Amino acid sequence: MPGDRPPFEDLYRDYLGRIYAYVRAQVPTSADAEDITAQVFMNAYQAYGRFEARNTSPVAWLFRIARNATTDHFRAHGRRERLRRTIEHQPVAEDDPARMAEERLQYRALLEHVARLPERQRDSIALRHSGLSFEEVGVLMSCSEDAAKMLYHRGLKALRDSVHKEES
Amino acid sequence: MSEDEDLDLLALQRQLDDAFQTTRPRPAFEDELWLRLQSRRPFWQRFRAGLAALVGGIREAPAVPSAAVAILLIVVVGAGIFALSGLHPGGGTSSVATGTSQDGGRSFQPNAMPGFGRLPAPVSAPKGSSTGTPPPYTQYDASGTNVYLGPAKLTWAGHLEVTATNLPVFRYKDPTPAEAGHFAASVGAAPSGQVAPGGLGMYSGQNFTLVVTGSAAQPAREPSYNLSDLKSLGASSGGDPVAVATAYLAAHSLVPTWPYQTEVQTNGNTVRVRFLRSFDLQAQGLAGLVDSAGERYGIEVDTAAGVSGAFETGPLPLSLDSVNYSIVNSNQAVQSALASSATSAGAAPLPVVRLTNAVLVYTLVYAGDHSFYEPAFLFSGTFTDRGTTFIKRVLVPAVVPSLLLP
Repeated sequence: MPGDRPPFEDLYRDYLGRIYAYVRAQVPTSADAEDITAQVFMNAYQAYGRFEARNTSPVAWLFRIARNATTDHFRAHGRRERLRRTIEHQPVAEDDPARMAEERLQYRALLEHVARLPERQRDSIALRHSGLSFEEVGVLMSCSEDAAKMLYHRGLKALRDSVHKEES
Repeated sequence: MSEDEDLDLLALQRQLDDAFQTTRPRPAFEDELWLRLQSRRPFWQRFRAGLAALVGGIREAPAVPSAAVAILLIVVVGAGIFALSGLHPGGGTSSVATGTSQDGGRSFQPNAMPGFGRLPAPVSAPKGSSTGTPPPYTQYDASGTNVYLGPAKLTWAGHLEVTATNLPVFRYKDPTPAEAGHFAASVGAAPSGQVAPGGLGMYSGQNFTLVVTGSAAQPAREPSYNLSDLKSLGASSGGDPVAVATAYLAAHSLVPTWPYQTEVQTNGNTVRVRFLRSFDLQAQGLAGLVDSAGERYGIEVDTAAGVSGAFETGPLPLSLDSVNYSIVNSNQAVQSALASSATSAGAAPLPVVRLTNAVLVYTLVYAGDHSFYEPAFLFSGTFTDRGTTFIKRVLVPAVVPSLLLP
């Protein structure tokens, strides 16, 4: 029902930043995040004509595409390498000073902790703090709303422990 | 859970809120991506949107996403190409069907030591994701052909004869805003409006608006102009769409000075005429310019029956340097094409494509503040899947591997 869906321009304006932040919390570089975000909106743009609002909300639909694209990225680029980087906590070279400043200013350290969480915990935190309800998080993660809450709170505690461990 | 622990988690949640709310892409990304999205729209949609924006005044264009929309309502992205020795206002004459005008008799000087050093290799079209929505491996090209971009098992059953041992590589330097301004002034336009991120300038002249943009990396795109012409040419246009398009270009002294072929696409009452660029390689003949998906491109002029005006996308006048590079022989080219053959893709069976055709082409390779037109071989073949015929293209560098960056 085309009348029920907002213009794609609105979706793009409203969610580009949130999708980027969601992706950025999971990948090691802003360049990766841009690539994936671009793929998300390319896919969404092509598919929007077939999107039916009665089945799901536009935001949930968009985040589903984002989850798929992020998963694809990990498959394509090797989860092992990503884990190695994460474990060794190697900063990935980014030689753009403006971008480095942005990274420093934008809670990069905290998001790096998020990126090191187990996949489902990480995903629940990233989706929740991207503005989704627990119900929406549950639908996207194929679990109940309660299970989504549980995953989220476990992730939150694991995150706190990770931050404290580094601080100490 | 203790009160301290609760507060601890609450503080962490606030930090996370802040982190996610303040993590945003760099400012130009929004506009760059929007440009890419718009370039995928069917041209008649772009045309109508552009026309609506012009009728309403481009300053009333929605502010989302900021400047890019304002530009794109009047822009047809994805075509622009350059004149080798300049697209000089007033300097172009050409035939309509197959242009024979040349680039000032450019001579290719043999050079044993390639002056540009090792070159970045041409980049093929993105392969898309395996689980994204929708299935990403196919797209329509400008002529409506189903193009398959995904992995395939490849065989070769054609004939490729390569007689040249070296071919020119062309390099240009990205224009500055001042150079874009000179171009605008040369077609009678003065600065107007705000320049979008990634853009070089926005200008207006009598009955037209002009936007000049620089090179883009992905997909690779040359600096180009986009001209929205509000003026009807009336009797000068006649009924032939190529004549109409040529007249619009001529009105701004923008008829290409390089060799080209024309292609006409019609959708409803809108017509696009494409002036597909070729490089004249003298003894080797003409080589078409293709994008990373292997599709030819060039200047585009969009018009609509019963509507005044046209939209023209074309090249900036930039000077090119050229240096000869050694190229692979036919056997090496074929082996290079077959090397991209996929072996397996999990459970899904791969299409088997019999490549039957190969031609020498040129393709743009983006390299930052300067970029290259490099020779390449474009292989193609077709296969049928569930009653639909797809074309598979494989673009391989012509320059010998030792002269390419890893």
